[in-house]
Amino acid sequence: MNFVPAILSTFIFFGSLILIFSEKLHRSITAIAGAALMVALGGIFGFYTEEAALEAIDFNTLGLLLGMMILVAMLEPTGFFQYLAVLAARSSKGSPMRLFILLGVITTFLSMFLDNVTTVVLIAPVTILICEIMGISALPFLVSEALLSNTGGVATLVGDPPNVLIGSAAGLSFNDFLIHSLPIVLASWAGALFLLRYLFRKELSKRPRGVKAVMRLNPAETLNEPLVARRILVVLGGAVLFFFVHHALHISPSLIALSAAAVALVWVQPDIHELLRRIEWSVLIFFGALFVMVGGLEHAGVMEAIVGLLERASGVPPVLFGVGLIWIVAALSAVVDNVPITIALIPVIRGLGESGMNVAPLWWALAFGAGFGGSGTIIGSTANIIVTTLSEKTRTPITSKIWNRRGLPVMLITCAIASILYTIVYDWF
Amino acid sequence: MNVKSCMKRNVVSVHAGTSIREAAALLVKMHVGTLPIVDDDEKPVGVIGMRDLLTLELPDFVTFLADVDFVHDFGAVEETHPPARTLNKAVKTLMKPAIIVKEDCGLLRAYALMLQHNLHDMPVVDKDGKLVGIASRVDIGAAILSSWPRAEK
Repeated sequence: MNFVPAILSTFIFFGSLILIFSEKLHRSITAIAGAALMVALGGIFGFYTEEAALEAIDFNTLGLLLGMMILVAMLEPTGFFQYLAVLAARSSKGSPMRLFILLGVITTFLSMFLDNVTTVVLIAPVTILICEIMGISALPFLVSEALLSNTGGVATLVGDPPNVLIGSAAGLSFNDFLIHSLPIVLASWAGALFLLRYLFRKELSKRPRGVKAVMRLNPAETLNEPLVARRILVVLGGAVLFFFVHHALHISPSLIALSAAAVALVWVQPDIHELLRRIEWSVLIFFGALFVMVGGLEHAGVMEAIVGLLERASGVPPVLFGVGLIWIVAALSAVVDNVPITIALIPVIRGLGESGMNVAPLWWALAFGAGFGGSGTIIGSTANIIVTTLSEKTRTPITSKIWNRRGLPVMLITCAIASILYTIVYDWF
Repeated sequence: MNVKSCMKRNVVSVHAGTSIREAAALLVKMHVGTLPIVDDDEKPVGVIGMRDLLTLELPDFVTFLADVDFVHDFGAVEETHPPARTLNKAVKTLMKPAIIVKEDCGLLRAYALMLQHNLHDMPVVDKDGKLVGIASRVDIGAAILSSWPRAEK
């Protein structure tokens, strides 16, 4: 291995991680600058080319994310999310505990098929509204929605960006996730829900004052465009059906998501400029640039070196190796965005696989660690940041002290449950 | 025409240390929407508006909702008022930076600034920077419209 490219590329990657962690520079700006620097230095020192940089971009991931983003951006103005939340509020009949569970279940279910961030962005404002009307603090609800969507998203191929990345890199299908990930996530999720119910027991036992006003909310009135909502839900349902069989039909999840977006666009014909403004382009750019950056690391031989180091540790029992991976990735994901961690670890795991190790269980360890780790701190996941920012517009803002006492325990319990189940079913992976 | 010709000269202002409660009472008494906040030299250091105070009654989360038309009764929010410790805080904790114009500022420039910053009232200062008046959107707008030629019958 040539040392100069390895040192340069490592320096760029970790420099970018530190910038993202310290929030000195927006993560997308950091990623673009890092990617440009990586390609430029790669050209000068001869370890990376423009062609290689383009090849490093996983267009399957970008396509899947874009397709799902378009569908959600179309669903958003129909008021469907408000409809679900108001339905939950009325079914809770004014019991905060019942509302807590219902909103938790709805958020989790939505985040299994939609991006966590989108789910939280759409459900959190109406949650605040309902809590304000009832006269209770929205804080327990907001914290739990972020934590439960982080947890629930791990269950499916499309629920969470790290899963999209892992699924695409390891060739795992939608059903692989349902078989291997869903049961473990369900157990961890139940643990998280019970823990949150316990941690917030004092807030949730308060008697709300505005029950009558909540019961007066009419779900039918919340839907602005019922026909559009129905059409998009039909398309989303069709996409999920195709996800079940994509492996057998040999079509990629990104093709399904983009085709579904195309069908919905033709069927509904929204104002395309307005729609495209609601797409999170900064996220897609962040992913694309990270692929280019990590591609540079790979071409500089850094990943090989790490794989070489890890091979020496092959004396460690494989189960312990997997459980260790869950906790290391979780700890990293709690302090830095889990996407760069996942993108960087994918080539390492692939390299271990090429050297003869059974890496199938390691992909799942990576998914659990990256997904559950984000719950640990406010900056651990974008969903956490969003509910915290929104809570500043309420009477009870979320602070990092509060998060340490509610979010961190959830991260620990979900990782612990996942580790125990992982060990039990290890041979089955 | 300039702002001086259309502004209101009897402008009510407060100091940064005034309590939120007093500022609110003044808004009610004078029936105005904006209070310039001035230092000891009568120079504006910020403004506090109706909206900044109403946020204490109905927090800003409403702006994040796709639609509020379906809410007919705000339930507990209707009976919730800001606690005394919030009302006793100084207005400087809520004040926004002042976008001001000088007396000789042209009407269109003043209107353009209002549009850009989404303001309803704009404090006016003299050449020394001292507060001498306040111009509302209606003051400026009416002055602009009055220059239109009369319709020919």
